[in-house]
Amino acid sequence: MAVRGLFRSSLQILTQRSLPFNDLHIKLAEQVSYTQVRGTRSYKRPLRHQPRPWHIKKKASSMELYVTPENKAFLREAAVAHYNNTPSPLRNEPWPRNEYTSETIRTGVIGVKIGVIPQWKKDGTKILCQLIQVVDNHVIRYNPPEKFETALGFNPHWKHKGIGSVVVGALSCTPFNYTRKYTGLFSEAGVPPKRILTKFWITPDAAVQPGTPLSVMHFRAGDYVDVSAKTVARGFQGVMKKWGYKGGPASHGSTKFHRKAGSVQVGKKEGFWKGKKMPGMMGENWRKTKAIKIWRVNTKLNLLYLGTGVPGPHHGYVRIYDSRCHKHRVGKLERGGNVPMPTFYADDIVGEIPEEIYDDQLYNFADPSVEFSAEQSK
Amino acid sequence: MNTSLIKHLCTLLLRTNGELSTISKRCYQSHRIRNQTLDKHRTSPLNKQKTEDAKNDSKPVTNKDPEVPTRFLQKNPEFLPNPDWGYRDQIAEMVERNDMYRRRRNIFMPEFYVGSILAVTLADKFALGKTSRFLGLCIYRGDQGLHHKIILRNVIDNEGVEMMYELYSPLIQKIEVIKLERRLDDELFYLRDCPLEYSYFPQDMESQNIFKDMPVTTNTIKVKLNPRPWSQRWERVDLQGVEPFTGWKSEKQRLKLKRLANQPQVKKEWEKMDLMKHYRESIPPEESMRIYGEVVKDAKDWKNREERET
Repeated sequence: MAVRGLFRSSLQILTQRSLPFNDLHIKLAEQVSYTQVRGTRSYKRPLRHQPRPWHIKKKASSMELYVTPENKAFLREAAVAHYNNTPSPLRNEPWPRNEYTSETIRTGVIGVKIGVIPQWKKDGTKILCQLIQVVDNHVIRYNPPEKFETALGFNPHWKHKGIGSVVVGALSCTPFNYTRKYTGLFSEAGVPPKRILTKFWITPDAAVQPGTPLSVMHFRAGDYVDVSAKTVARGFQGVMKKWGYKGGPASHGSTKFHRKAGSVQVGKKEGFWKGKKMPGMMGENWRKTKAIKIWRVNTKLNLLYLGTGVPGPHHGYVRIYDSRCHKHRVGKLERGGNVPMPTFYADDIVGEIPEEIYDDQLYNFADPSVEFSAEQSK
Repeated sequence: MNTSLIKHLCTLLLRTNGELSTISKRCYQSHRIRNQTLDKHRTSPLNKQKTEDAKNDSKPVTNKDPEVPTRFLQKNPEFLPNPDWGYRDQIAEMVERNDMYRRRRNIFMPEFYVGSILAVTLADKFALGKTSRFLGLCIYRGDQGLHHKIILRNVIDNEGVEMMYELYSPLIQKIEVIKLERRLDDELFYLRDCPLEYSYFPQDMESQNIFKDMPVTTNTIKVKLNPRPWSQRWERVDLQGVEPFTGWKSEKQRLKLKRLANQPQVKKEWEKMDLMKHYRESIPPEESMRIYGEVVKDAKDWKNREERET
């Protein structure tokens, strides 16, 4: 399958300044054709650091040189007062809430990796937990399936059918360092502009209203999640570190051939194969780890204690969502209790929310120390 | 030129609030956030889910803070976080300390140092009576936070045995101090290359009468090293608790090893004068006193010493 006429047409439209963002989104979609063309293997991907045609310019020029510090502080106060007094779309009637089934896909959240902490189980074994903080998350936009299927970036050959999308943002900022187009994205949700945005696929029965805050109570202790993030960047690396090649011998007359790859091609005419593993930039790719357990939840500080295997560097952003494994989707229902649908709202619990929620197998440090009795071993 | 303009230019160049930025060893990561900016987001007025604890944690040090006795610092060295600036975070350190307080309320952790003799009882599935007790000399004490661990050494059946215990593990039932004293060195790993008589203590050793705020004596014993080969090159280390070694194979070998040990790239005398290295590998005193100010407040609720059965 090949996509023809995507980039040329999109560049033409981007040059016309008068088009607003929403219309641009639709008109670009009309230009894309997903008809199959013979003789082409796959659609040609854009270069790695090239922005997608539907992306908006985010950062504006810094105002630090042109504004005095007193005026800057005044502007900050004015911005905070403006965003605290903006009417939220949540004042209108709430959207209908459905029950969780094994086929629903809920939204995820954006977290920040904070550190590693050891914990112990009730049988005395030690585990290492990854601390993740969920800071200031909001739902920005919901696209129903009809709208999402016509959008750019949607591939009709994807497995899931009848699926919508939701945009989630984290870490709200003052709007002074961002462009007007970027800040305009958040006017629907009534929140200040966010530092990062991501998109999650959801089924329409788990639709979330824009402007709703997402917290750690979206998940339950004991459930399993998938985590995807960009891995640690290693820079330009050789073939031994990047692909695990064996290299050359250390001695026996080898000169300048200790960490090199061997022969690359056979024959001059054919050249070497495309996709040959060569030295180059390593790391900083999107990777996903499936089925990580939530051991413990801190609701006061919005912390998740996950198992090991979370990709990415320290203080890196991660996307956390329900595990797509069939075993854990069904297991959620079998565990019983209410799965918060579509997310957790403050009115759901009567009284105070408990500060710390533990998994059944995890040891609480406030308990007395673990002892084994003779009957237990039998 | 206006001073405020110069300050602004400096902030643009350094990209911080006039402070020196921490230099990262690795290459540029696009998908991550700096520690300072994350702290700003946690306490910013735009954040409606903000935590007040984080605000209190970044409070500057004042003279009204409680005075921490120096002996309290020496007793509890594990409350300081890992000084590596690439992996520090306020909230993660606070959460780890809270877990340590909870454990301290359940179990009594006595005062001890490297060189004192301890006995640790551990819950063990496979032992008779479901507990195992080990007595030995403490030769190492290290790591921060919940990772904090000790190594005990003793001789059983003419064989040197070392056991590592994580002090915050819930399996630990009891920690007893048999003899409270210090040695001349901070780590006693050289006992692995000494005759076994120096690291033998009977398992049914009677404990000393230990009371609160008891003066700690230093044991000035000097041990003998076995003939080479050793586990480490001890001639390069400045050991206080070891007699000068005499069992050289020949005079030529002694002179050669002495010459190698006195090389400048082995001695590394410039590291003593390297202020930046010292700053990176330690936590500044203002911050450590703020942390211990919290710890002293919480220490009133910790479990006290159990009275001995007479």
